[in-house]
Amino acid sequence: MFKNYFLVAYRNLVRHKGFSFLNIAGLALGLTACLLIGLFVHDELQFDKFVPQGDRIFRLYADHFRGDARETAAPVPPMYATTMKQEFPEVEQTMRILMQASNNLVEVGDKKLYVDNSVIADSTFFSMFELPFKYGSAEHALDAPTSIVLAEDVATNFFGKENPVGKEIKVNKQSLLVKGVLRGGLSKFHLPINYVLPLSAAGLPKERMKKWGWHQFFTYVKLRPGTDAQQTQAKLQRYVTQVVNPTLPADDQIKEVTYLQPLHQIHLYSANFKYDMSTKGNITYVKALSFIAVFILLIAGFNFVNLSTAKSLQRAKEVGIRKTIGASREQLMLQFLSETVLLTLVSVVLATVLTALLLPSLNAFTGKTMTFDLLANPALLGLLGLLTVVVGLVAGFYPALVLSGFQPVKVLKSAVVTDGVFGRVQWLRHGLIVVQFALSVFLIVCALVVFRQVSFLHNKDLGFNRDQIMFFPMRGDNMKEHYDAFKNELAQVPGVASASIGYGFPGDQVAGDGIIVPKNGEDKEHGVTQLMVDYDYLKTLGMQLIAGRDFSPALKTDKDQAFILNETAVKELGFGTPEKALGQPLKWKVWNDKNPDSLKVGKVIGVVKDFHYKSLYDRLEPAVLQIFPGAYWKVAVKLKADNIGSSVEGVKQVWAKFSPDSPIEYKFLDDNFDQMYKAEDKLKSLLWLFTGIAIFVGCLGLFGLATYAAERRKKEIGIRKVLGASVGSIVGLLSKEFLVLVLVAAVIAFPAAWLAMNRWLQDFAYRIDMPLWAFLVAGLAAAAVAFLTVGYQAVRAATMNPVSNLRAQ
Amino acid sequence: MIKIENLEKIYRTDEVQTKALNNVSLAVNEGEFVAIMGPSGCGKSTLLNILGLLDEPDGGQFAFAGAEVAHASERRRAELRKKHIGFVFQSFNLIEELTVAENVELPLIYLGVGAAERKEKVAAVLEKMQIMHRRNHFPQQLSGGQQQRVAVARAVINSPRLILADEPTGNLDSSNGNEVMELLTELNEGGTTIVMVTHSEHDARYAHRVVRLLDGQVVLENRQPAFSA
Repeated sequence: MFKNYFLVAYRNLVRHKGFSFLNIAGLALGLTACLLIGLFVHDELQFDKFVPQGDRIFRLYADHFRGDARETAAPVPPMYATTMKQEFPEVEQTMRILMQASNNLVEVGDKKLYVDNSVIADSTFFSMFELPFKYGSAEHALDAPTSIVLAEDVATNFFGKENPVGKEIKVNKQSLLVKGVLRGGLSKFHLPINYVLPLSAAGLPKERMKKWGWHQFFTYVKLRPGTDAQQTQAKLQRYVTQVVNPTLPADDQIKEVTYLQPLHQIHLYSANFKYDMSTKGNITYVKALSFIAVFILLIAGFNFVNLSTAKSLQRAKEVGIRKTIGASREQLMLQFLSETVLLTLVSVVLATVLTALLLPSLNAFTGKTMTFDLLANPALLGLLGLLTVVVGLVAGFYPALVLSGFQPVKVLKSAVVTDGVFGRVQWLRHGLIVVQFALSVFLIVCALVVFRQVSFLHNKDLGFNRDQIMFFPMRGDNMKEHYDAFKNELAQVPGVASASIGYGFPGDQVAGDGIIVPKNGEDKEHGVTQLMVDYDYLKTLGMQLIAGRDFSPALKTDKDQAFILNETAVKELGFGTPEKALGQPLKWKVWNDKNPDSLKVGKVIGVVKDFHYKSLYDRLEPAVLQIFPGAYWKVAVKLKADNIGSSVEGVKQVWAKFSPDSPIEYKFLDDNFDQMYKAEDKLKSLLWLFTGIAIFVGCLGLFGLATYAAERRKKEIGIRKVLGASVGSIVGLLSKEFLVLVLVAAVIAFPAAWLAMNRWLQDFAYRIDMPLWAFLVAGLAAAAVAFLTVGYQAVRAATMNPVSNLRAQ
Repeated sequence: MIKIENLEKIYRTDEVQTKALNNVSLAVNEGEFVAIMGPSGCGKSTLLNILGLLDEPDGGQFAFAGAEVAHASERRRAELRKKHIGFVFQSFNLIEELTVAENVELPLIYLGVGAAERKEKVAAVLEKMQIMHRRNHFPQQLSGGQQQRVAVARAVINSPRLILADEPTGNLDSSNGNEVMELLTELNEGGTTIVMVTHSEHDARYAHRVVRLLDGQVVLENRQPAFSA
């Protein structure tokens, strides 16, 4: 019996090539998109799942409050770990990683490379995270201050295939001993690791490790089995306010609220965390992609239903014959269901092949190493089988129901089945088209809004000029000691417009600190961003003074008694207008001074226009600029627009003169900014891609339906033409029906898209207004696509010889 | 074999009611060959469809082989159809995606006959209908006469007690038409009851009895001597 079913199914497939193609192509494409998204989402959900006892591991993070604004940050002060280990019996283990951000120069013999992603951690690192070792062992690996454990890639890079355990390696000129090599394949670990150093190597003073106000450590705790993390978290928060705070001076009270974050949530649920070294995903984007996958599968499935019920026209006679011969309705349903399952199977096989072909591109795009090996993964094979059956049955059920319901008396007599039989499936088909187009319009709107916001992020006037600015950290004592000479020589290079040395450049790390405003004999401290600059900072970055003047090397007092504010600082420090701020006294607790109470006392000499030194996710903060060579670290060199290549070469030569031992490692400042919106850039590309697929798949279905509609109305068209209707009016007649559906779809999709995009935009401190034209464009685009798809068939039908149409009846 | 009494069938659309059958009574005995004649729209196809259990009457009784079936369930009717009734249509109604042999085999599949037996029976009937050499062709590749022979082969493959033929020669030229009529006569002589709807007085002469319908009513029944060409 099944042989007969499949035979008929197969011959039907071959006979109606066009329909089969639309059906299979649409479904295969939809399934491919789903499979690719599914692989991506699955991969994102796998982070840290391999870590033994990972369900007992938590990371601390804290919410900081500044006025109404809340900022979530990953690092916490060192005392949290100490206290929890000592005072919380339910805590089995704690571990801290020092937050530090710089590439370090790694050397083995003559080989020198800057290597990023170093982890400087408590010696409990490997008992917290039981990572697999290739060489050496976790035990005592971080006991000595001179220990280092390498990631496999780094070890291979420096030592080739030999076992490097016991060998010497230099990090920033400091000699270390390799204690172990981690096995590769840590791509699903939330911390990117190239090497691990013991915290003891950092030589942090003991007193600093006792601080409750130094937010510098990523802190992990492993709870004993059976511990309720919520209770531990509540206990910690109580402990801080009731036990710790009473021991601290009024100024140093802990105001942040600290939480426990499960290890398995770190990767996806930390997107808005500041100062976080973990590899971040974004649960919002994972969810959005999952929705899109479901959308596309729905669209493809609806196509299937629509095309199959439309095609039933041609199958009606067969149904009649089979029923006459004695087939029961159940047997016919089974027949048609096995046909859809067969069709689905073909689509799934195609989709599998497509997925395998496209996966390398997706891997390259996402930087992942996903695999799609069916033989190695029977679960995946089972899933595909299940997908085939479920999609086949769900998509085939309604067409099967309709087809098997035909009355042989009605369908056998006439050559063409009249519309009456199909009237009842009309509403369904229209409903499905509306849903398909609503989903497409929704996706188009989202893609347009995301596109606009992303280009806004990249192109917004940031209040300074970020073009052609070479950017690098100083290396070596010689360069740091003679920074002035270094800078002067840089400025002499032909093609260099100006150079600035400081700490706190836009797009790079900035320091937060207090500034003291004396008022009515009382000092009030405000949290601000401290930008340690030199006399050429404003010029190099092309910033705009709106009141007062720039720092001047001619005035000796500028170094020790002058501050420049941004507009936000003028407001937050309570000075009113930029003009009123000029001359106002400020005090600052000098960094790293031997005398911890030493104060820099000065006046506001200028106000700069607000500029975005952080990403546009962040609201502008008050910033104070001052001359402070003690913190000088980074160099920004503004190049003239032409001959960038030779200018860079010139800069490199000056570098080699001052720091011959360390290679220069430079970036361009605008890259820093582009880097900030990488996730959004990828979202944009993925949205375009999948929107395109969704629309294309939807059009395949629409094309099929238009073909059917033209077929069905052949006689009507013939009569109309005989009576003198023009081609145009007939095209209009056939297209109108579909355009109305698109219109309805748009009306449904617009509010949904508005809500979704408004929510997404709210995450940005600086965002575009909801672009209303996007809705107009999306609606018109959907209508245009529908019209073109339907129009082709309509024109064909309208230009056919009416006589042949009429005679066929 | 068949006994209908006061059969009624009404077609309704939104505005019009048409009485296709009005108080039709008819009995067909086992082994009889009955022709139903009448002008277009007189209700003869409707009657045939009801006799074939493809359609339900709106009133009256219908006994098929002694059992009342006027309002039998779809399942029961399908069951009776596949066991006892064979159909031959004017437009042949072969499934275009199946070959000659597969078309003929279909009723046996629905009856649940085993593959070996099916093969045997199909070969036998195709041989008998002299269409064996065409068994792997598709219907479109055959002439009208050949197609109708296939349709007859399919109708008789499960040895039904009743064959319903709806203008079986309507799409055929006279020589092919005569061949088909000879086939039906042969089957009838073998004991199969035949009810045939036809426009053709010529074809009607093959039947033992002609029933004439007009506007949904039986207007004349006449026995006639067996046709001799």
